[in-house]
Amino acid sequence: MLTNMNAKINYSAIDDMLLIRNPLAPIGLVCKPVCMTTNSVPAGGDPRRLLADARDLARRVRLAQRVTWLPLLVLALVIFGAIPVHRYGRAVVSDCQAVGDGQVCKVWLQTVTFYWLAALVLAYVVIAGGYLRVARARGVDARVLPYAVTGVALVGLGFAFAAVWVRLHPAYPEDPSAFVQFLSRLLAPPGAIGVALLVLAWLERHVALLLFALGYLTVVLVPINFGWGAHWGPHTWFVPHLVINGGVLLLGSAGFALAQRLRRPR
Amino acid sequence: MTGPADTPADENESAHPVTGLDDVVHQRVRLGILTIAHEARRVEFGYLRTQLELTAGNLSQHLSVLETAGLVEIEKGYAGRRGRTWITLTAAGNAALAEEIARLKLLITRVETANGQ
Repeated sequence: MLTNMNAKINYSAIDDMLLIRNPLAPIGLVCKPVCMTTNSVPAGGDPRRLLADARDLARRVRLAQRVTWLPLLVLALVIFGAIPVHRYGRAVVSDCQAVGDGQVCKVWLQTVTFYWLAALVLAYVVIAGGYLRVARARGVDARVLPYAVTGVALVGLGFAFAAVWVRLHPAYPEDPSAFVQFLSRLLAPPGAIGVALLVLAWLERHVALLLFALGYLTVVLVPINFGWGAHWGPHTWFVPHLVINGGVLLLGSAGFALAQRLRRPR
Repeated sequence: MTGPADTPADENESAHPVTGLDDVVHQRVRLGILTIAHEARRVEFGYLRTQLELTAGNLSQHLSVLETAGLVEIEKGYAGRRGRTWITLTAAGNAALAEEIARLKLLITRVETANGQ
């Protein structure tokens, strides 16, 4: 009957073929609440329901694997930690050239570079360890390692890009093109954090995190500073960007933690 | 039963998908175990028991069937003083789950096609 596609097929007919009929079923003895069988028992519905159950179980595993507040909190702390390093860190000035009334120099923020490299690598190690610990305590494994590896790789790529650009800068002392400025913002530590978050959102099939990461990247790339720091001088101009970027991550961390707490069964 | 090289798509025009269903996998609880293990990569016995709402004995029997069929690996260890049992999907388990899902989808497609005619 099933191979005749012209015939009207209903699920009860399919169930008859799919499932092993138990002679005790008509009198209600097919499966007591404490039954102990490993035979193929009725699946409790049609193929559609089996698939729906599988999707629901997969969704619940993904929820159990998520510790979204952790990376956002750790990375916010790293960004806030960069503020004093930017303020008091050592800068190496070279290749000064006269332009108009003043001069333009190449500045290598030595301490800042080492801070970002060390702090971000450490942050991703802490995030991966924390994620695995929390997820395993819940009884599942986490999908965090590709995220941590991507994060570290992007940090390395960003600094490699900056080093090559400074060395080969063909237009110096002119400003780099808009595209190069966009690329450098994307690969700078706050931008690289956002790109890595996109990877985490994809790994976890997490739509809310995807939207958050896109919003964060918009803030980093535009960049939005509400006019703060425009005349703050060379020692504090960076503060608004770092405060806003870190603040967005911190708020996101609080939001995801709250959402997770509300969703948890009481 | 069809040969191992055939995929459900290949059989679209020949045998009905129901003929290729694997009795080990085509069972609500065992399909649930494989789905969770696939998504979680490694899953703890207690998590499976809670999610599938089974007794420890019942879950153990289903796991034993899957382990005998080579679809999962069971690893016992400790977390502090507590004994913990972790279940991992094997490559064969991964393939069997993918096959089962594909066949279920094909079956639904056939039913919908037939109902539409």
